[in-house]
Amino acid sequence: MNAMEKVAWTEVIVTMSSVVATAALLPWLGDGAWGAFGLLGLLVVGAFFVRSRDGRVVVDERDREIEQQAMRWGIGAAWQFLFMSLIALVFWSSTYNEGLIPTRLVTWLIWLQFATCYLVKGIASLLAYRRATLAT
Amino acid sequence: MPRKPEPKLSNRVRELREAAGLTQQALADQVGVTRQTILALEKGSYVPSLALAIRVSRAFDQSVESVFQLDE
Repeated sequence: MNAMEKVAWTEVIVTMSSVVATAALLPWLGDGAWGAFGLLGLLVVGAFFVRSRDGRVVVDERDREIEQQAMRWGIGAAWQFLFMSLIALVFWSSTYNEGLIPTRLVTWLIWLQFATCYLVKGIASLLAYRRATLAT
Repeated sequence: MPRKPEPKLSNRVRELREAAGLTQQALADQVGVTRQTILALEKGSYVPSLALAIRVSRAFDQSVESVFQLDE
């Protein structure tokens, strides 16, 4: 497993952990549960894997290409999530909430969008590396 | 917008590397990439940039066209 695969696994594990922790705390803390999204700060751990060792190349052009493609997937997924969520929110608020949108819901959207971006980016990276490994 | 299809590129990197008695890591160190990229290159699952293709060809003292072939 190369350095960027480890970074991708970090992204997947950290985002999944933050979503699971938030969901677990929701019954007890309600909106306060979004504090668990602070676990997304652990994404910086990925930087530990890309430090240069023994003067060898750790990240090369193929890794950068895979990361760029994965980031496009991540941003695209996050954008779609936000777009569809806002549409649903507008329909809901206009039908059931007199056109009012609680700001707390917008806060949830922002955190979930962030998590979605890095989760999809991580998965896209892992799939790209897996395709390369399985290729004959 | 539909993606541009990746060109099919075959190569003789593995054959030339083994003939030169190089490990994948040694070749990777020589051309400035990771071992996994050399592995992907040899499997044909990665299309290298022009710069990398030239560096790999120079490592074997061959022309780019003799190392990489475009399958059309």
